[in-house]
Amino acid sequence: MSNRETLDVDVLIVGGGPAGMSAALRLAQLHKQKGGEPLTIAVLEKAREVGAHMLSGAVLDPSALAELVPDFKAKGAPLATEVHHDRVYFLTRTGKLRFPIVPPPLSNHGNYIISLNRFVKWLGGLVEAEGVDIFTGFPAVEVLYDGERVVGVRTGDRGVGKHGERKSTFEPGVDIRAKVTILTDGVRGNVTKSVVRRLALDAGRLPQLYAIGIKELWEIPADRIPAGTVMHTMGYPLRQEEFGGAFIYVMPNGLVSIGFVSGLDYRDPMFDPHIVFQHFKQHPFVASLLENGQLVRYGAKALPEGGWHAIPRVHADGVLIAGDAGGFLNSIRLKGIHLAMRTGMLAAESAFDAVRAGDASAGRLKSYPAAIDRSDVRRELYPVRNVHQSFSYGLMSGLAYSALSLITGGWWYRDPMPAHAGYERMAKLDEYYPSGPPDPDSPIRPVKIDRQLTFDKLTNVHYSGTRHPEDQPSHLIVHDAEVCGTRCRIEYGNPCTRFCPANVYEIVDTGDGTGRKRLQINASNCVHCKTCDIMDPYQLIDWVPPEGEGGPQYEGM
Amino acid sequence: MILVVGEQRDGRLNRATWEAVAAAQQLGDSLKIALAGSKADGAAAEIAAADAAEVIVLEAAALAEYTSDGYILAVAAVVEQEKPASIVFPHTYQTRDFAPALAARLGRALVTDVTAIKKSGDSTVYVRPVFQGKLNADVEALGPPPHLFTIQIGAFRADAAKRGASAAPIRKVNVAVDASAIRQKPEAPFQEAKQAVDLSQAERIVSVGRGIKGQEHLKIAEELAKALGAELAASRPICDAGWLPMDRQIGSSGQTVAPKLYVALGISGAIQHLVGMKGSRTIVAINKDPEAPMFEIADYGIVGDLFEVVPAIIGELNK
Repeated sequence: MSNRETLDVDVLIVGGGPAGMSAALRLAQLHKQKGGEPLTIAVLEKAREVGAHMLSGAVLDPSALAELVPDFKAKGAPLATEVHHDRVYFLTRTGKLRFPIVPPPLSNHGNYIISLNRFVKWLGGLVEAEGVDIFTGFPAVEVLYDGERVVGVRTGDRGVGKHGERKSTFEPGVDIRAKVTILTDGVRGNVTKSVVRRLALDAGRLPQLYAIGIKELWEIPADRIPAGTVMHTMGYPLRQEEFGGAFIYVMPNGLVSIGFVSGLDYRDPMFDPHIVFQHFKQHPFVASLLENGQLVRYGAKALPEGGWHAIPRVHADGVLIAGDAGGFLNSIRLKGIHLAMRTGMLAAESAFDAVRAGDASAGRLKSYPAAIDRSDVRRELYPVRNVHQSFSYGLMSGLAYSALSLITGGWWYRDPMPAHAGYERMAKLDEYYPSGPPDPDSPIRPVKIDRQLTFDKLTNVHYSGTRHPEDQPSHLIVHDAEVCGTRCRIEYGNPCTRFCPANVYEIVDTGDGTGRKRLQINASNCVHCKTCDIMDPYQLIDWVPPEGEGGPQYEGM
Repeated sequence: MILVVGEQRDGRLNRATWEAVAAAQQLGDSLKIALAGSKADGAAAEIAAADAAEVIVLEAAALAEYTSDGYILAVAAVVEQEKPASIVFPHTYQTRDFAPALAARLGRALVTDVTAIKKSGDSTVYVRPVFQGKLNADVEALGPPPHLFTIQIGAFRADAAKRGASAAPIRKVNVAVDASAIRQKPEAPFQEAKQAVDLSQAERIVSVGRGIKGQEHLKIAEELAKALGAELAASRPICDAGWLPMDRQIGSSGQTVAPKLYVALGISGAIQHLVGMKGSRTIVAINKDPEAPMFEIADYGIVGDLFEVVPAIIGELNK
C-alpha cells in the first residue's frame, strides 16, 4: 500500500507491560551510561493508556525493581503495602484448615502488594521521562520478516467496519521497522505466538501450560482485616483433579484483591472457572470477609504456568522474547512480575549490544538466553521445573512432588516430566459423563447470582470497564464456526461458553426453525485474557488484537 | 446571574437546552440564556418561554457554521460583557467539543457531566459520575467565578424548567468574531449511517431485546412505537444480529437516552443496557422472566409474554 507510513527505530518493544517497560527503561539507562549514537526506542501498547490492560494479583518480589530503579521508594513507586502476614489455607466445603507453616515458596516477607495497573503506569512515566516514545492504542498485528529474520511489526488498521469495509475514518496501520524487536506481548501474545510458530522456537520444548486467573477488587470495612495480609487457599471449590487456588491480598483502606486461578488443563468439559470463583466467594470464610463490601473492578487474565521446560527459544534473528510472552513465571510462588522485569532488562542489554555492534543475528543475540542461564531467573525456575506438570497427576501427587522438589532441587526420574497441552486433556462429554452427557446449556454446579457477592459474567464484564467500538470486525476468529453447532456441541458441549470469563461466546438458536444452534461471538465483551485461544479443544479460535485502544480499563487492578 | 449556553441548529432547539435551564434554575439566581448559530430565531422564541431575564442571540457571520474556535470567541465575549456567576451548558457533543477549551481560555474551573446540584452551607456541590457511573463524586469548583458546568443529558427534566409569566425578551448581540482566528474549516455535515437517529432527542422509546426472538417479530414493536409516537431502539444483541442498525442500540456501547417513556420489550436488563437508559422518567418493562433485573428499575412491570401483552396495548392505544 502506497500510503502506509513506516517508522524506523533501533529497538522496538511490542507490549507495554512490566517486561516491556523494564526493557525500555534499561535501554535508556544503558544509552545514558555508555553514550554513543542516539538510540531510538519505541514501545507499542494496544491499550488506550499505559497500564489499562494490566492485571495481576499482585504480590511483587522487588528484587528486579531494586536493580532497575534503586531509588524506587524515593521515586514514588506505587507499592500499596508491604506484606506483613502470610497465611495458607486448605478449604473444605464449609471449613478451613490453616497450614501450620507457610510453605517456603509462598512466604512473602519483604514483598509488596501492588496494583499492577498502577505500577506499570508509574514505570511508563519513568520510561517517558527518558524520552522513549510509548505508542498507546497501537496493537501489533503482523510481524515483518526479511527472510527468516524479524525486522519489525505492522500495527493494526483503524476505521474498519464490521464487515471489513473501510469507514470514513480508515487509517492503515504503520510499519515499524527495527534492528531488534523485543516481544513482550504477554501471556499467549499474538505476535509471539506467530513468531514461535513460524520459526519453530518451541521445537523440543514442552507445551506451555496455562491457568486462568479471575480477579475482583473489593472495598470492605477497613477494620476487618489488617492491610498487608496475604492469603492463599487450596482445595474447595476445586476437586482433587483440578489445579488451582485462590488469593486474597489486603491493601490499605479496606481494598481487597481477591481472585481464583484455575489450571487450564482440567478434564471436565463442563468446568467453569467463573462459577468456581463464585462458589469460592460463597464459602463462609470468604463470604464473611466480603460481607457488606462492594465490588469495584473485575478482570481476568491467563497465566503461563508451564515453567522452565515450556519456555521456547527466546531469541532468533532480530528478535527476543521476554516476560509472560516467553513463559517466565514461577507458578509455585505465583509470581511473574519480577521475572518479566528481569528478562526485559536482560533482553534490553543484549539488544543494546546488538545495535551497537551492528549485528542482530541470532548468533549475537544468544547472549540473552546465556544471561538468563546465569541469572536469578534460572536459579528460581529450574528447581521447580516439573511442579505444575506434577499436578496433572492430581492435587495430592502435585503437593507431594512440590514438597519433594524443595529437597531434591526438582529432580524427577523423568525430566522433563512429560506434559500435554491443556486443551488436549479436556475429556469428551461421553468419556467424562459415561452415564449420559449433561445439558451443555446449564451449569453442572449452578450458583445463585445475587449481584452482591456473586455476579453473572455479563455484569462482571461491566466492572472490567471493557469497551470496544461495535462497528469493527470480530477480533476473535473462529476458523470453522460450523463445528460449534454440530461436533463441538455433542463432543464437548461448547466449553467456550464456560471457560470465557466475559460472556464473549454464546450458543444461540439459529432461528431457522430447525432447533439447531450456532455460535454467537460478543467480541466487544472481550477482556483480552486469551483463554479461548489457549483452551479451545479444536484449536480453531485465534485471538487477534481489536482496533487499538479497545479492551478493559483495569484501573487499580 | 447564571448564563445558560444553549444549543440550536437551523432554528431547532436542542431539547437538552431545557434540561440545562432546569438545572441552572436550581442555583437560585437570575438567568440569561445565550444561543448562537445561524437562523436561531425559532429556537430563541421557544426557549424564551423559560423563566429567564433574557435570551441573548449571538450573531456573527463567522458563527453561521459551528466551529469550536468561533464558539469560544463568541461565548467568551458574552461572558466578558455579562459577567455571570456561573455558566451552564447541556453536555452535548458540541459542548464537549468547545467547553473545555473555553474554560482554559477563561482560566476558570469546568465541571462536566453534572447530574445533581446540592447546597452545602455557602458552597454549591456538583454531583458527577465517575468510573462509568459506578460512583458519584461530589465536586466543588475552586478558583474565581464564573465556573463552568455541563449538565448530563437526562439528569434534569426538561419539563421541570420553570416557565416565565411572559416570554423573556430576546436580544440580538453582534459579537466580534474574527474569522481569521478560526482554525477549523467545517465540511458539509454528513451522517455516517444513512438513517442515523439521535435517540437522545426522543421523548418516547420502545426498545426491544432478545425476548423478541426473531427479526420477523420486530413488526409488533414497530406497531407499538407507531401507536405511541415513539422511536424504536434495541439492546445490544438485536443490533449485533443486524436486526436493527447499530445507531439504535441503547447502552454502554450504544447511545445513552433519558426519554419521558421507555418501554422495554423482552429486555432482561443487563447492567450494560441499564446504564444507557436508567435516567428515563417512566420505565415500563414487559418480560416473561419475573427475575429479570429490568424489573428492579421499572416503574411499571408486566410479567408476561410480550406477544400477548403488546398487541393488547396496541389495541387499547388505537381505540
